[in-house]
Amino acid sequence: MKELYRVEGTLNRGFVGQITYMVCLEQPCERLDVEFGFDADKQRYRPEEVTPELIADTMRICREKYGLTGTEEDARRVILNDMKTEIHTLATLNDAFIGCVHKQLTRRHMSYDGVTASEGCIPQPRFEGVLKVTVLVFNVLKDGTHYDLTVRGE
Amino acid sequence: MFKRYELHNHTTQSDAGITCRELIDLMVKDRADAFAITDHNTISGHPIIRRLLAESGAPIQCVYGMEYTTYYGHILCLNLSEYVPWDSINRHHPELLFEACKRAGALTGVAHPFSYGDPFARGCRFEMDITDFSHVDFIEVFNNPEPLHEVNEKGLAWWESLTLKGERLAVTAGMDLHGAWDMSMHFATYAEGEPGGDAARELARAIGGRRTWISKGMLLNWTIGEDSVRFERVDVRKPGFIPSEKYLMTLTGADGVRTFDITSGALELPLSDLGEIEIPKLYGGETAIENLICVAPVIRR
Repeated sequence: MKELYRVEGTLNRGFVGQITYMVCLEQPCERLDVEFGFDADKQRYRPEEVTPELIADTMRICREKYGLTGTEEDARRVILNDMKTEIHTLATLNDAFIGCVHKQLTRRHMSYDGVTASEGCIPQPRFEGVLKVTVLVFNVLKDGTHYDLTVRGE
Repeated sequence: MFKRYELHNHTTQSDAGITCRELIDLMVKDRADAFAITDHNTISGHPIIRRLLAESGAPIQCVYGMEYTTYYGHILCLNLSEYVPWDSINRHHPELLFEACKRAGALTGVAHPFSYGDPFARGCRFEMDITDFSHVDFIEVFNNPEPLHEVNEKGLAWWESLTLKGERLAVTAGMDLHGAWDMSMHFATYAEGEPGGDAARELARAIGGRRTWISKGMLLNWTIGEDSVRFERVDVRKPGFIPSEKYLMTLTGADGVRTFDITSGALELPLSDLGEIEIPKLYGGETAIENLICVAPVIRR
């Protein structure tokens, strides 16, 4: 498939929100692939990145929001096992929803071949008009989290 | 008849481990009357389930929906026939999204309001400020996999508090199914319907009329007569339900909680004994939340 659009970007720690890219499909396509990925090594904290400040901050949030009074070891488990950078992708074609991938993947494809589509996506017979891809950023753990987005069509 | 609805289920179309076909098979096997497909932020499973149900003739109906999975809370949408965008979500004015879904003909409710969110999983706790509950149809009071005291007991208390303040909100429960899980002794949602009736329409009528039950398998039904109200237990034969030797019923009103023994199966109270708003609940044994079996529709006089 031909590459129609490629973009890269960087997210800062704590960002929550959407980034939308709009691609005008100059030629009608029967197959389309939207590939998105972000730094796999920045999805979670590594043990050596768990600082006393991060533990204290996590304990404070858990106490203030949920009344949880766990130990430093509990906080460490939360940091290593639960906390993650979480980014999803959603696509519309001429403002009609054609799919969203919610799986916790650091690289994903939204692929359409005219008859079938990736899980989370609705098969489309033809692509023409305006493709809008939205990157839904739920959580970013680390500064400088790099991502890339590529749209291919045929 | 009472119909059992399983209203919160995911498939591989979002992040669950079961396919649409496996979800149908599981629901048929567990003898639900209807189930919802509520994948996270996608309706891609709708055409698949429609096709599978049409091909198989399975004795079950589907309620088509979605779980809006936002940064500030999850919103269950049922009878959703079209995708309603949520990219203008406003944490301090979520009514805009509820309204948009309602305009599309959907039922909208707050899912697992007290689940743990950030830093465990951003968005899982409902952190939006609802100022106008007239846009909300229901609250998912019991999200079965969640911790009883830390999450579901708080959800029930929130719904009761809003109800006693005069808000009209239906009560629902769900499995939040992400796999082929055992559903016995978990809460399901029940509504009145007709054999062969359209389960989605009957659900809309029940939630719209705020006349839903959540139960582990025994309902507490009530009917109002000329000068009395009659309560009775109804065994809805939910697979895996373990009957109790003793049943207590409570009525929660503005003046507090009153307890009655309903082990015999039925009970009649004079209407004059009821306050303006009463929330009936059924327990198997003592009135601890661990023994809660059913929350019945609110009685309003």
